[in-house]
Amino acid sequence: MAPEEFKDKKFARKSGKRSSEMKKLSLTVLVLIVGLAGVFASGAQEKSADKAVTIWAWDDNFNIAVMKEAAKVYAANHPESDLKVDIVSLSKEDVYVKLQTALAAGGSGLPDIVLLEDYVSGKYLNTFPGSFEELTNHFNYADFLSFKVDAVSQKGKVYALPFDTGATALYYRIDLVEAAGYTEADMQNLTWDEFIEIGKDVTAKTGTPMIVEIANNKTTLVRAIMQSSGKWYYDKNGEIDIKNNEALRSAFEIIQAMKAAGILYEAESTEGRAKALNTGAVASVVNAPWFISALRQAKDQSGLWRATRIPRIASNPASINASNVGGSSWYVLAKSPVKDKAIAFLQDVWQGNNDFYGTIMLNQGAMGSYIPAYGTSVFDVEDAFFGGQKINALFAEVLPDVIPVNYGGYVAEANDAITTALANLFAGKVTIDEALAQAESQLKNQLGR
Amino acid sequence: MIHSKKKQKAPNYNLYGWAFISIAFFLYLLSTIYPAVESLMLSFKSFQGGEYVFVGLKNYKRMFGDAIFIQTLKNTFLFMLIQVPIMLFLALIIATLLNSKYLKFKGFFRTSIFLPCVTSLVAYSILFKMMFSLNGIINQVFMALGILDKPFQYLQNSNWARAIIIVAMLWRWTGYNVIFYLSALQNIPRETFEAAKVDGASTVQTFFRVTVPQLKPIILLTTIMSTNGTLQLFDETMNITQGGPANSTLPVSHYIYNQSFIYAPNFGYASAISYVVVFIMIILAIIQFSVASEKK
Repeated sequence: MAPEEFKDKKFARKSGKRSSEMKKLSLTVLVLIVGLAGVFASGAQEKSADKAVTIWAWDDNFNIAVMKEAAKVYAANHPESDLKVDIVSLSKEDVYVKLQTALAAGGSGLPDIVLLEDYVSGKYLNTFPGSFEELTNHFNYADFLSFKVDAVSQKGKVYALPFDTGATALYYRIDLVEAAGYTEADMQNLTWDEFIEIGKDVTAKTGTPMIVEIANNKTTLVRAIMQSSGKWYYDKNGEIDIKNNEALRSAFEIIQAMKAAGILYEAESTEGRAKALNTGAVASVVNAPWFISALRQAKDQSGLWRATRIPRIASNPASINASNVGGSSWYVLAKSPVKDKAIAFLQDVWQGNNDFYGTIMLNQGAMGSYIPAYGTSVFDVEDAFFGGQKINALFAEVLPDVIPVNYGGYVAEANDAITTALANLFAGKVTIDEALAQAESQLKNQLGR
Repeated sequence: MIHSKKKQKAPNYNLYGWAFISIAFFLYLLSTIYPAVESLMLSFKSFQGGEYVFVGLKNYKRMFGDAIFIQTLKNTFLFMLIQVPIMLFLALIIATLLNSKYLKFKGFFRTSIFLPCVTSLVAYSILFKMMFSLNGIINQVFMALGILDKPFQYLQNSNWARAIIIVAMLWRWTGYNVIFYLSALQNIPRETFEAAKVDGASTVQTFFRVTVPQLKPIILLTTIMSTNGTLQLFDETMNITQGGPANSTLPVSHYIYNQSFIYAPNFGYASAISYVVVFIMIILAIIQFSVASEKK
């Protein structure tokens, strides 16, 4: 081939290849741009007119089941309504994380109704004012338990619909207690000292530790003992109250005494605690009504459990045999596009409907905060799992005694400070006084006080 | 006859190059650079009453007085100083062994060393937690062997909890570094080993005098990567110890998570802490680079 022809061919090939290359390039870029536009556009789609009411909550066996029942009741009462209720089940921590992120991001991706524990009410209402719809005039709050209404109020305005209460009870295995020579009557209205004595006998004679707590988070017991005397991590003005908190000191002493007596089983997680109870590795636990669904998982233990009031602090006259652990309420997001539908839904089912409260009490053991519902016959039901005991009546009896406390906006920080102090105490590194002082200074440090 | 050159402008392939990466670069700007700049701005603000308020260096000043933050720094450095050297040394030895001519079933060994790296972080953390729990396998084996007479709570003891986290990380990440070293080892010319043998060097001497110096660049790379990885430790502590008895295994990233999502949300402070971590990483990288070039 002559050099000239070769060059021509080379250039010819190049130019032909180049124009088809150009076509391919422009086509590719066009496709990419269209694709990108599609990605951005799909995010901005118009919401359809009949958007469902989205609800975020946790615990399939309890909260989710209750809300599903509520949706059913509403649909039955309003057959003409096309209201769709979308209940999203997450873990409790996920609800907080997602909610906090969405609120801090200016309010996109939020649900319409969200369930929040009363412990975090202060945190959310203080940190995100205006994000939750004020419901003061939408419900007749005189019909709800006052300590629940207080927990979700700020400056006289109510921001949520109170749901379940955490009326605390001591659940114990009657068979193990009787094996140690005690009767049901012996377990009523105890002091913690008496409880520890009984616990020592039970553990010695049956080999089962008397009571369980989660190893690196014993705050359930701490909070129950504190609130039994009307005390909390913070005083009524929101000031830190740890170092000189007698009830908190007693809580530390009691837990330490339990450990020293060998009657405390330290489970490594909430699942571990449930497993220990279900397999009979522990004889009792202190917790709220919503905890019973975990106990019920052990069907072979039916009839072996009893419930009674929690023990009180012997040396503290303010301490009574009643307390509260947890409890949550339903909040409506202020920016929700279907706010009115959501409120109407809540009003219809959760107010004026005693049957609904009866159903969720029977099926999920939910102890609602709606006072008129307390007179129903559900409270006379004998629970076979508890050997025929009228357990709902027990909670109804305990509830009015519970001393309300102001949880404040910084419960997680306080829990962490107490957990750290308890861990150091149990490792033998500090005395109780030092532990309390440490917790107070850690909390002060965190809160910038 | 001189062929008349057709004057054609050479196609500017540079333009094509820019056009192709423009979209990827734009996405990179949007998803990496923009958030980084925004969070730097955020670290100078504080979330008060539902709004971000500019507070200057207050977040950074707060950090120096924050006892928990200081503790997390101590924990993270402890993990780093113990875990990284052990892991890299172990990885070097394993890689050298795996590179040996005489080893049979190389494929099996390589797979099993690398397998931990592809497991889910959460799944293996939970397994470790179960292993060391009161009725977990470690306690059962020790009791059967008579070393313990009653189960010991490893996770409730500060020192043991830290040791467990370190062991978990070693199990998980050694294989990852082995692969790096293995591929680098295969680039070392065999002649150097043969020369060492001829000179009468023992295996240990060969390892330290011949292998390691030639692996210097890759050792530097893995050191920096491992340091960064340990500085960002989160999954193991979250799932095994939840920050450990009395904050003894709480690393910095876990504390950032707490500040953002568990405590009263303080995204400005959390951003400030993240930037301090970035700063620490940069300092460490500078130190590591200068140590590596010094030895030359």
